[in-house]
Amino acid sequence: MEVEKFYYDNKIVKNFLYATLVWGIVGMSVGLLLAFMFLFPNLTEGVSWLSFGRLRPLHTNAVIFAFVGNAIFAGVYYSLQRLLKARMWSKFLSNFNFWGWQLIIVAAAITLPLGITTSKEYAELEWPIDIAIALVWVAFGANMIGTILKRRQRHLYVAIWFYLATFVTVAVLHIVNSMELPVSFLKSYSAYAGVQDALVQWWYGHNAVAFFLTTPFLGLMYYFVPKAANRPVYSYKLSIVHFWSLIFIYIWAGPHHLLYSALPDWAQSLGVTFSVMLIAPSWGGMINGLLTLRGAWDKVRVDPVLKFMVVAITGYGMATFEGPMLSLKNVNAIAHFTDWIIAHVHVGALAWNGFLTFGMVYWLVPKLFKTNLWSTKLANAHFWIGTLGIVMYALPMYVAGFVQAFMWKQFNPDGTLTYGNFLETVSEIIPMYWMRAIGGTLYITGMIILLYNIIATIRQGSSVTDELAEAAPLQRVTKRRTAKEGYHTWLERRPVKLTIYATIAILIGGMVQIIPSLIVDDYIPKITSVKPYTPLELEGRDIYIRESCNACHSQMVRPFRSEVERYGEYSKSGEYVYDHPFLWGSKRTGPDLFRVGGKYNDNWHFNHFYDPQTTSPGSIMPRYTWLIKNEVDKSMTEKKMQAMVTLGVPYTEEDIARAQTWMDEQGTKIEQSLLNDPDFAKTYEADKKYAQENNEDFVEMRNREVVALIAYLQRLGTDIKVKTNNEEVSSN
Amino acid sequence: MDFPKKTVRITYAAGEVSLKELVVLLAKLGYEPYISLENADPKKKKINRKLTYQLGIAGFAFGNVMFLSFPGYFQVDEFWLNQFKGMFHWLMFAFSLPVVVYSAQDYFKSAYKGLRSGILNIDIPIALGVVVLFVRSTLEIAMHWGDGFFDSLTGLVFFLLVGKFFQQKTYSYLSFERDYKSYFPIAITRISNNNSEEQVPIYEVNPGDRLLIRNKELLPVDAILLKGDALIDYSFVTGEAVPVPKSSGAKLFAGGRQEGSIIEVEAVKGVAQSYLTQLWSNDVFNANKKHLFQSLTDKISKHFTIGVLSLAILATVFWLFVDVSMAIQVFTAVLIVACPCALALASPFTLGNILRIFGKHQLYLKESYIIEQMAQVDTVVFDKTGTITTNAKSKITYEGIPLTEEESSLLTSSLRASNHPLSRALYDLLHTNNITTLDSFEEVSGKGIVGYHNQQKMKIGSPGFVTAAQPSEEENKTSVYISSNDDFKGRFVFQNTYREGLLEVFQTLGNNHDIVILSGDNDGEKSRLEMILPKNAQLLFEQKPDDKLNFIKALQQQGKKVMMVGDGLNDAGALAQSNVGIAISENVNVFSPACDGIMDASKFKAFAAFMAVSKKALTIIKWSFALSLLYNLVGLGFAVSGHLSPVVAAILMPLSSISIVVFTTVATYFLGERLLKREIKRN
Amino acid sequence: MTIIYLLLTVSVIVAIVFLIAFIISVKNGQYDDTYTPSIRMLFEDEVIKGVSEEKPKTKTDNQ
Repeated sequence: MEVEKFYYDNKIVKNFLYATLVWGIVGMSVGLLLAFMFLFPNLTEGVSWLSFGRLRPLHTNAVIFAFVGNAIFAGVYYSLQRLLKARMWSKFLSNFNFWGWQLIIVAAAITLPLGITTSKEYAELEWPIDIAIALVWVAFGANMIGTILKRRQRHLYVAIWFYLATFVTVAVLHIVNSMELPVSFLKSYSAYAGVQDALVQWWYGHNAVAFFLTTPFLGLMYYFVPKAANRPVYSYKLSIVHFWSLIFIYIWAGPHHLLYSALPDWAQSLGVTFSVMLIAPSWGGMINGLLTLRGAWDKVRVDPVLKFMVVAITGYGMATFEGPMLSLKNVNAIAHFTDWIIAHVHVGALAWNGFLTFGMVYWLVPKLFKTNLWSTKLANAHFWIGTLGIVMYALPMYVAGFVQAFMWKQFNPDGTLTYGNFLETVSEIIPMYWMRAIGGTLYITGMIILLYNIIATIRQGSSVTDELAEAAPLQRVTKRRTAKEGYHTWLERRPVKLTIYATIAILIGGMVQIIPSLIVDDYIPKITSVKPYTPLELEGRDIYIRESCNACHSQMVRPFRSEVERYGEYSKSGEYVYDHPFLWGSKRTGPDLFRVGGKYNDNWHFNHFYDPQTTSPGSIMPRYTWLIKNEVDKSMTEKKMQAMVTLGVPYTEEDIARAQTWMDEQGTKIEQSLLNDPDFAKTYEADKKYAQENNEDFVEMRNREVVALIAYLQRLGTDIKVKTNNEEVSSN
Repeated sequence: MDFPKKTVRITYAAGEVSLKELVVLLAKLGYEPYISLENADPKKKKINRKLTYQLGIAGFAFGNVMFLSFPGYFQVDEFWLNQFKGMFHWLMFAFSLPVVVYSAQDYFKSAYKGLRSGILNIDIPIALGVVVLFVRSTLEIAMHWGDGFFDSLTGLVFFLLVGKFFQQKTYSYLSFERDYKSYFPIAITRISNNNSEEQVPIYEVNPGDRLLIRNKELLPVDAILLKGDALIDYSFVTGEAVPVPKSSGAKLFAGGRQEGSIIEVEAVKGVAQSYLTQLWSNDVFNANKKHLFQSLTDKISKHFTIGVLSLAILATVFWLFVDVSMAIQVFTAVLIVACPCALALASPFTLGNILRIFGKHQLYLKESYIIEQMAQVDTVVFDKTGTITTNAKSKITYEGIPLTEEESSLLTSSLRASNHPLSRALYDLLHTNNITTLDSFEEVSGKGIVGYHNQQKMKIGSPGFVTAAQPSEEENKTSVYISSNDDFKGRFVFQNTYREGLLEVFQTLGNNHDIVILSGDNDGEKSRLEMILPKNAQLLFEQKPDDKLNFIKALQQQGKKVMMVGDGLNDAGALAQSNVGIAISENVNVFSPACDGIMDASKFKAFAAFMAVSKKALTIIKWSFALSLLYNLVGLGFAVSGHLSPVVAAILMPLSSISIVVFTTVATYFLGERLLKREIKRN
Repeated sequence: MTIIYLLLTVSVIVAIVFLIAFIISVKNGQYDDTYTPSIRMLFEDEVIKGVSEEKPKTKTDNQ
């Protein structure tokens, strides 16, 4: 057997590392800006593309897919080559993976602030980008599998299994959840409606956490922690058991995101059971990671790489303990919709993903540049600042979550809500938001220190080595593969490829058959009074989606006394049958909006959008002045309705034909009701006059975005309204 | 590199480095390659992974079925649930199918075998339970009676297989199946007709071939000594501690190691037909001891099965009179609940744990059932040389007239010139004395040596050689006699060194076991041994390998449960014949004869503790049985009264299994691990 | 809620894919040795830096 010489591709690793750092700074900065918007709602006053609703998905996407995503690629591309003793299979695919991914991120960074979003959390990107993601992801997978097939090390180290699982599962999840019907190049509607959409979304949402933020990082943990500590993983056997049990249970845990929602009870309970079971494999992995460092604690004390890793693994342990706990129904009843969840995800993101990435970067960069870390002191400083940042972030958010939940549920002896005004519950936690912003500032400061340290390290490193010369000590071990045997060889060569192609084929085939039957859902127990949205409401709903109102407002009244008392009748699954996509939301920074229809008059809404603080003193909602000025784009309305018909919404031909006049009628009605307010009438007439005098275009109020949005809001939850509490203008 | 097996695969450029150079280099590094006849036999080791597949499939099905069956427990009647029920049911059925057909097949096979041979083993109620679960569940979903028990079914099989898997701890780096092949060399030097030397594989050695045996080389076949002075070390083969001198024409047996000069021999037999190797043609080496053994579980399951079946019938008869529609339901329910999952898990988990604990303390057992057999042993038979004595050191005492300084010096100097093992050992002891250059030196092969210096003459060797007058043959001790200027001075007596803690081991063991010493050596150590041994111990010397085997057989025919503890090839037959054969080895990786367990020699002092722990293991199993019976009673309560719902079954089954696992783990730790630790520390 | 059919199908297919992967990996002996891999991954097989780097260094020294 001849020894083969070959080269590891370090360039691609470096590229991904650079991208990780750059996007990390970007994503975290956006997060920080958002944190300050809680304190100064009108920080970006009047700039539509810098409004909270539009930046929030940018933050989550940038951190998850840009920062963590690039870190995954960097780690995988580095470790995979070394574990398999082979260069990446295809240089083209590597580069395609890199540039494609960066392009997608750039596309996201452009479209999301423009309000081009599907509104489904962590899957906000519109369909052309979804397709691009699928392509790039498949390129990544193909490259990985290609490398596996030409490996020089027979055994697949456990980390590779985690990578493979990541690839397969994320591909499937992404494809299933991104089933949408395009209306135009940048607009589409989810193929599923209401409860179904919610179920798919959270099946995806949970597993995105599982297979994008957890399994690949577990793989990285199983590679980089032993490497950094220079000792084998505590129990390799346990890591194998860890993998197979995690893979098996994780995928079922999704429904716990929908507890007490309109989802059937048994589906919820199922999610709970499997979520609780998850703790076993998760902690198995955590213990395995921590015990790897047994007897090396002296090293941990001095080596910042190991320090970061220890905190990361501990964070993983905390988050995976908290997760199952949060999925318990009674805990969930408290924590859901509050800042507790924000704390939970940030412990996961900042500690587990962030710190493991930092540890990896500090270990990897000196290796790649054949030098030592420029300053261990700075790295240690980063560690302490970052850790403090996490604590400062998480603790206040936990407190905020508790405070909120208890204030929401507090009753007076006479049976009324103690804090009937939602705003009281908001102003109470403003100090916590301050501390969160400080914690976030610390964390990002640490990140900047890292960037500085890394740049200095790279500068002092050898710049010549674009790619490093390496040699393989062994050739393929299997004689079987090279010699004799016909069909067996073939079978052995292709299992991975074959199964994956087969899966994709089956999935696509299955989808083609299943989706149409889902769209026309005969089974749905219809509530006869529930009718499709009018064209204007539909347009208003699209504006609601564009501004990501669902980032702060839920549309799901849970069957609790406190919620029924505060918002009205609890939500029924039958009320959402025409919601493509569903807009249940996952966080209540503001109150639930599901029964907001008819609660306030049109003028209240108008004034509220113009300046929330005038109608609701102390509100932290920003002003939406552009809604009041902009004209609704009605050019697509018929197409949108047509798309809805395809998705099973019963609009008739006539409905579509008279869409424009219908919108005009409804708009005029709202315009009339707005004109009831003398103040409004006065300024409106003045504007009109001014425009006429100056020969400017004037958009009639009935054609403005705000009217469409008001139309939608006033419709919300009114279809089955039992009590008519119209005009009940309370202080909230 | 394979760490557990401690093997390494080396790729080298054959053009630049020869294999020999490579071997030399490795040896220099301290990693001398291990070459033996065994490796020449390219036997592909087939790893049986069936259990892993079975377990994987059962686990997969269990999880999925659980997923599908749980909704029914949370909400009984819901619009959507009712819509999906049909699909859920048939999916569960589909998942269970491979579990019943593939994963559980060994239980059916074993049950069938048991029934045919008239043994009511534990697998019968298990197989019955699985079948009944499957049939009843299928009927239930087909007839829309209910949800079936598919989760219990798959869970049951999964847990059982986990138990089985756990029990199966293999020490892959050890070999329990070694025979003489791994001890013998691959090739030997043959002198061809034209007097040239050639290397031939030993399988090609035929009677009549002339072979050349160098110092430290092994005789691969029975042969007649033609030329040279043979001094054969049979310690590993016969148990004789001291090398035997042979003169021309003597018959030499295979397995002996030549010490000293080159000899030439003529083979009289082929490798496989030789005196020692013939031992392996004995039937005991082909018999599988496991089948002959009836485990505690089997014994209990006999009563259990009868009990369950009669209860099922009784309950059915009862319900036939009360409510006929319930009768068949109760009958199946009893069989389902009684399915002895916990019972079947008790023994694997206990024994698996003990197996690991033993392994940690360097007693490596081939399989877990051996622990049970260890617990039942009433007679322990020890080999002497290498088993209760150490190979490493021997104790030498001097009896006779004290030597002058001059004499001592001459003695040491003479010893230095000799290559005889006893000379070397003696020299090691005395080498601090002055060493002078001898005037002359002669070695009489097989007899002794003579050294001259300054008119002084020193004879060292056998009594007959040293002095005709003092043939103190009454004692069969290994001794070296010396005379100075033909005056008898005295003798050095070589005594075996016994292993550390031997006395305690014998004392503790003697309390409830018969002890026998079976030595291939002469009875020179008899009196010393008698002092150490308990009164009723038997001592037998000059036992040939066949004798040992037959002795054990005889003991067994008296109804004794015999454990053989040995180390050499000569013990191989006895080890195989005994109920439990334990090989003692100074280096567990190198060589030990085929056996049931290998014990690291340094842990010999804990021998009695190991025996005690194995007894404790049986107690733990009995307690676990009691515990699982308790669960069964509760379940039977539900079953007999006709209240067994899938939920009850789904809760009861894992609950009982898990509590058994926890109980055995904790119990084995407290009773086993701690006792052994203490024992080893104390000594 | 017919979405359950889809999710279930997809999940089961994914699970079966993993099961097949599991069986194949066991068959290929991936899990026969559960100790060596953890050690092996600690070794770097890169060409020793001294060999590849020293050469250019001496060159620059000579110049």
